[in-house]
Amino acid sequence: MIGKFVSSIAALAISATGAFADDLSQKSWDEIVAQAKNEGELTWTVWYLTDDLRAAVKPFEEEYGIKVNIPDGTVDANRNKLLAEASRETGDFDVFALGFNDFDALDVEKLFVPLSALPEDGDRVTTLAGTDGKGHIVAYWGNQTGVSYDPAKISEADLPQSPAEFEAFWVANPGKFGFNYEKGGSGPSFYQNTIRTITGVDLADGSDSAERLAALEPGLEFFRKNGENYVVTASNADSITRVSDGELWMAPGWEDHVAGLQKRGEIRKDIKFYVPSMGMNGGGNGVAIPANAPHPAAALVFINWLTSADVQTGFNENFGTAPMHAKADDSNALVPNDQRAYTRPWGAEPFRSKLDEAFIENVIQER
Amino acid sequence: MTARNWLKIGLLLLPGIGLILFFIGAVIYMAFVQSFGLYNLAGESEFSLTFWTKIIARKAYFRSVGYSLYIGSVSAIVSVALAYPLALWLRKPFTGSLAVSAMLKAPLLVHGLVAAFLFINIIAYHGIINQAMQGLGLWDEPRRLQNDNYGFGVLLLQIWKNMPFALLLLTGAVQSISDDILNAGRDLGAGNFDRFRKIIAPLSVSAMQAALVIIFIGALADFSFQTIAGPTNRQSLAQYMTFFSSKGRWNEAAVVGVTLMVLSLTGAGILTVAARLLFGGRR
Amino acid sequence: MSTAILNRILLITLLAVCAIWLIVPFTMAVLWSLVDPSEPWTADRLLPPVMSFYRWTNMWENSSLQRALLNSYTLAPSAAIITLLLSLPTAYALGRLNFPGRAAMKMVALLPLVVPPFVTSIFFSSLLFQLGLTGSRFAAILLAHSVLFLPFAIRIMTVSFEQVRVDHINAARDLGAPTLARWRVAYLPALKPGILASLLIIFIQSIEEFAIAFIVGIPDFVTIPTLLYASMGQDFVRPNAAVLSLILVVPNVILMLFLERLLKSANPAMSSGKG
Repeated sequence: MIGKFVSSIAALAISATGAFADDLSQKSWDEIVAQAKNEGELTWTVWYLTDDLRAAVKPFEEEYGIKVNIPDGTVDANRNKLLAEASRETGDFDVFALGFNDFDALDVEKLFVPLSALPEDGDRVTTLAGTDGKGHIVAYWGNQTGVSYDPAKISEADLPQSPAEFEAFWVANPGKFGFNYEKGGSGPSFYQNTIRTITGVDLADGSDSAERLAALEPGLEFFRKNGENYVVTASNADSITRVSDGELWMAPGWEDHVAGLQKRGEIRKDIKFYVPSMGMNGGGNGVAIPANAPHPAAALVFINWLTSADVQTGFNENFGTAPMHAKADDSNALVPNDQRAYTRPWGAEPFRSKLDEAFIENVIQER
Repeated sequence: MTARNWLKIGLLLLPGIGLILFFIGAVIYMAFVQSFGLYNLAGESEFSLTFWTKIIARKAYFRSVGYSLYIGSVSAIVSVALAYPLALWLRKPFTGSLAVSAMLKAPLLVHGLVAAFLFINIIAYHGIINQAMQGLGLWDEPRRLQNDNYGFGVLLLQIWKNMPFALLLLTGAVQSISDDILNAGRDLGAGNFDRFRKIIAPLSVSAMQAALVIIFIGALADFSFQTIAGPTNRQSLAQYMTFFSSKGRWNEAAVVGVTLMVLSLTGAGILTVAARLLFGGRR
Repeated sequence: MSTAILNRILLITLLAVCAIWLIVPFTMAVLWSLVDPSEPWTADRLLPPVMSFYRWTNMWENSSLQRALLNSYTLAPSAAIITLLLSLPTAYALGRLNFPGRAAMKMVALLPLVVPPFVTSIFFSSLLFQLGLTGSRFAAILLAHSVLFLPFAIRIMTVSFEQVRVDHINAARDLGAPTLARWRVAYLPALKPGILASLLIIFIQSIEEFAIAFIVGIPDFVTIPTLLYASMGQDFVRPNAAVLSLILVVPNVILMLFLERLLKSANPAMSSGKG
């Protein structure tokens, strides 16, 4: 009896229903819009700023008459649900958002449908931060990691820009700089780029040979040596809360996260943000349509709207994001335009994962 | 044991154990098998021992095992150790015992995440505890109490949350010990500690075992307390497992998961036997 | 020193400890929940600079809080009752009957506790989907919770069954009582504390369970843990988290007082007449 059910679980090897893709890619865009209006609603899973995004999608609801449900959730739970219901004929999610690089951990071709039915638009972003969307994912939200700082405690001229300057800051001001290693990408962006600058390792190369891992040693040694002088925080949110509280003077963070919190009055508005010249990772989030989406046409129409130039400009204004459409306007961001040149793509897998592991084993656990 | 007796036992066990074996058996089988490379959620499935061999070779793995075992056993033992005297004190009603009992059990009804959040709030760098200590002149400047390296934050939260649970179980057990026995013991010259060891403990050992085991298993697999208030230089097993799963390394996550399960069962067994040996007395 | 005075001293010490244990954290939470968005509460101020009920009204009106409260507080009691009923036959067998393999069965009963939540969340939910049991989301989550929390009920009720006094059972039988009356007189008093403890524990576990309720329930069936994790995770917004924590405390406090009343009347020693 258990065997029977276990083998039915083997159908966790997801069956991609090719039917969907053919179905919609045969239709004209107008037919798809008509079908979408018929479907009447869609569910968009996103794990952050749900309240603000609900307000942000109202124009879509008004224009098309399609209701957008944005349930609360966490990024892990959303992903787990996607995986758990992959073998169902009809799931619950129509549009699935995830960090662009996190899509690498999923079998994109099996879980999602190709977005070939979207109207041609060469200005969309389908490859971001080293991850190729493979025609199934498109970016809708650009973000940049950097370092948030308290201008009352440190002036702009004194901001550290390179690992040596960070070290000097730590020695002069022990316990005033904190970063996280999990529950958020800002800390990892910081230490990955510091190690890259020190060792010269090319993060764009994803191969994880033993020599390459051994080459990381000087970078790891740098962090071990200074272990007493910096603080390890629990998450993105923890870092920025402690800067706002006055405990820390500087901490890595996400541009959109910091801007959002400031806008909602959660943290002090005088906190500033910069990108050090050694570079920090920029990336974004993407959306895809699960293979068993209950409202596929509505999902397509929504994605088309979400990635349009107007909406991307609006996101830049309201949330401080980097727009994901070449024709959008990006003048309202937190990061000054000259510092945007310091952005770097996230490292390739599986090397990046191994770097994280090495950091945890050889630095974090040695404290 | 006649066939009829077996049938009766089987039917009695069916709604409980039967359901468990059916559903959870399948789940455990899946996790177990996934740790050997099969039933992959992404990528190819083939049998392989490498996931086990590679993980066991890692320092981080054994550190997580050691740390989680430490948190699990200390939480369980201290919770029960604190609950016993309280249960005995509250055995007979007295003025205010109802209020005390309610207050002691209050943490049961506070959601774990909420407790962690409240805790972080009060031990924050500029939080109330730091401000009080400075105000009283005990400290010159704020101290960083968050994420301490010995896991005291996590232990405190675990005990805060679990001691009422142990209290709940032990209260019923010690209240069922009738006074005749205790009086007889005292008349025969047994002191307080002897009465505990030789009368009360053996008669409530079943409840003690249940409390120890359940608290141990819960604290061993803790994730949320650890990630909010735990030391940042150690990872609990659940944290370690989530690290792998978030990178899509399902097989390695399964290895850590199976480790957790094996440790839970083994630890539960050890605690059960130890409780019986130390306190069981002659039955 | 007499028992009464000792009791008095212990009582006062305990009240003092409880003040720190309970009152201080909750006062802080109350203050945080009153922080108005126009100005954040920074460390140098003793009280929030601008206080208002904005967060409360906002949370109550704009989020799925009301639905989540209704869902969670319907799901949890149902799960508690069903799990208890399912556990009774097994607990009876493990507590009062002697058969080879009994200790092993006790261990098997612990299995749902032993499986890590991450594993159950994906695999168990997938099982439920495969078996087509998700027609009603509520029923599916109810089933999942019942299976997951059976260990608590089985363990607690086994202890209770072990405490039933044989002399009571025999006396009742000797006096010619029919089976039902025998149960009511001999078994029930010893079982009552276990029944209440089980109901309480399972209720709490069900109200806190996040993973499966999320995977099976979203987007239609929202539970409280979903809101909690969402507001205390990535987007950790302290004032919102404070409001949620406090809103959850009220029903729980009422429940606790109610339960203390019941537990008081369930003292098994009182049933034996002596005690």
